[in-house]
Amino acid sequence: MDRGNVAVLTRIWNLVLKEFIQFYRDWLMTAFILTLPVLQLVLLARATGARISDMRVAVLDLDRSSASRQLVTALDTRRELDVWYYPATLADTHRLLDQGEAILAVIIPAGLEADSPGVTRTPGVQIVADASNHLPALIALRAARETIAAFAADRAAAYGLVGSPPIDLRTTVRFNPTLNAKFFTIPAQVGFIVYQVTLVVASIGLARERELGTLEQLMVLPLRRVELVIGKAIPALVIGALNFLLMLAVAVFAFRVPMRGSLLLLFALTLVFIVAEIGYGIFISSIARTQQQAILFVFVLAMVDMSFSGYLVRVKNLPGVLQAIAQVVPFHHYLTIVRGVMLKGAGLDVLWPHAAAMLLMGLAVASVAVHNLSRNLD
Amino acid sequence: MSIRRLFAVARKEFRHIARDVRTFFLVTVAPAFLLITLSYVFALDVERVDIAVRDLDRTPLSRALLTHLTADGDLAIVADVQRGEEIELLFIRDIADLALVIPHGFADAILGGGPAEAQCIVDGADAIVASQTVGLLESRIEAFVAGLRAPRPGTPATGFDVNSRAWYNEALKALVSMVPGLMAVILCMPALALALALTREKETGSFENLITTPMHGSEYLFGKLLAYEISGLVSVILCWFVATLWFRVPFRGNLLAFLLLAADYVLAGMGISLVVANFVRNQQTAMFLILTVFFVPSFFIAGLILPVAHEPLARAMAYGLPTTHFITICRGMFLKGLGPAALWQPASCLLGMGAACQAVSLLLFKKRIT
Repeated sequence: MDRGNVAVLTRIWNLVLKEFIQFYRDWLMTAFILTLPVLQLVLLARATGARISDMRVAVLDLDRSSASRQLVTALDTRRELDVWYYPATLADTHRLLDQGEAILAVIIPAGLEADSPGVTRTPGVQIVADASNHLPALIALRAARETIAAFAADRAAAYGLVGSPPIDLRTTVRFNPTLNAKFFTIPAQVGFIVYQVTLVVASIGLARERELGTLEQLMVLPLRRVELVIGKAIPALVIGALNFLLMLAVAVFAFRVPMRGSLLLLFALTLVFIVAEIGYGIFISSIARTQQQAILFVFVLAMVDMSFSGYLVRVKNLPGVLQAIAQVVPFHHYLTIVRGVMLKGAGLDVLWPHAAAMLLMGLAVASVAVHNLSRNLD
Repeated sequence: MSIRRLFAVARKEFRHIARDVRTFFLVTVAPAFLLITLSYVFALDVERVDIAVRDLDRTPLSRALLTHLTADGDLAIVADVQRGEEIELLFIRDIADLALVIPHGFADAILGGGPAEAQCIVDGADAIVASQTVGLLESRIEAFVAGLRAPRPGTPATGFDVNSRAWYNEALKALVSMVPGLMAVILCMPALALALALTREKETGSFENLITTPMHGSEYLFGKLLAYEISGLVSVILCWFVATLWFRVPFRGNLLAFLLLAADYVLAGMGISLVVANFVRNQQTAMFLILTVFFVPSFFIAGLILPVAHEPLARAMAYGLPTTHFITICRGMFLKGLGPAALWQPASCLLGMGAACQAVSLLLFKKRIT
């Protein structure tokens, strides 16, 4: 290595050293940055249910017969539902829905028992869902309808009207036989927390120097802009990677999320993701005048990225334009990678386009940021 | 406490907000902007399911089944699989969500009246999507079977009449339920801005100048709070316009009561900021704390998408967050048309949190440098 290169490396190294001294001096913040994400993961993972189950149901039983009691038991046995309230009047039933106490009300009309199957005279069973949150409502409605249909079919069979379904669908679930929702949410939360930590550390770095007036001092040093950016990026990379390893350990050992693919591959691709996010962070740093602005920009970006990531809404369901936007969100590619490696055991042969996309975007954004940097120092 | 000095602090803070376009945008308009962006993403009702098919029967009936499944475009056949191993690969590459295997003799079994067997293999990586996908397939197959059987007169009906309705959101549209919920999550932003404004004074050293003035701690804290409470209310009003005029979400409650409760929520969120800002000395740490204890949990566990889980720990965490209460208030006022009387529980929780946090921060606040 010739002399020039050594000098460059020394300059960057000194800057990195300065950053780490700052982390050491502000030990409270460093402790927060390293422990809060892990604590956050543990609490969030504990607080997210494994599945949507036991949604509270109010039953207004106007029949009070053995048949209606059987139906109530059938509803209660259903995993998604939990018969919790037995209101006495229709008004009480409505109040429970209004207050959000029950998500579903089932009203069993009088005469259910007397009605033999095939001769329906009653107005029918009524189901009312509180659809102010549509997803639980959809799930509860489906569960109740299926339970009632199965109950009706059983009764019909008991009366000798055979109603066995002519197609028997045997379902097998790959990668997650118990359909545990946590295997999906925990890797996503790990990804999001790494994202958040890296972006904050990277975006604040320069904004802070600017706000405190020390950026001018850095600028007069014999230090090129690229070197300054790299020196700021390395501490963010180290912190992001450290956080990732801690949280991965929690996910795998404490929450038993399967790790089917290569750990090394996942780590390498996480580094690529972190580099990409640092690019975005430094870009924010270069347009924000104060730390407050940088942080609020990060907040806006984080919410937009989160919604395009495929975590809460599948990218496949988005219309064309929004799908195209999702392609330039590194977090979307990273989530595909984390899930692919951890749950499906996917390898680089499948995942390389995502890795390449993240790397390209990160570098492109970072180079714009480096370019921005000198112009914005008024 | 002098009102004049309190207003002086508030005026200074307003200047901070207004003098830079970027800060002004971030503090007032950004929540409305986020509400528009996020709602478009979250409010999609299209459920597209990509299926791979392995048809070993290859009869007119099995083909009719496949045509029936894909008739309305929700289900799309993306691959015709020859060998069983291919299915695995389609899942790993995220090409198919589900594979349907129709075995030999499927049509014969159905026409013979006996139960025919079909196999469904689903990618379980996202458990919630997987169970919805299987549910969709099952209901399509049921409809197909019903179509085969229906035209035989004299067959007695075997089911009960079931009359189901969805209240408050009759068409079960995602948009209608997501916009009021997202609004609550997004309105965490004013609290974050306040926490940063409080720590900035300490970090840049201007706090020292303030110490030398005859201002009291309470005037300083409430002056800042007042400025960000007002800019937060501007955001609330902008978000309300976005929800009702842009997205046409019905607003069935009382607007004045809603604004009062929104002010209550912003105040409770800011209470968290006041407490956090007391302990930290720079903005980076303040941001970490606010994100960790307030914003990120609001997104995941406050009942925005999934209902609050039943485990005691999850409930305690969720109801400790102001957002959970405000999501209830937003959905209650927008969709259910509830009045403040029906919402007294979440409203008083917010009030209690706000008051407690402010009391704590006043007790802890010290007008000196450490």
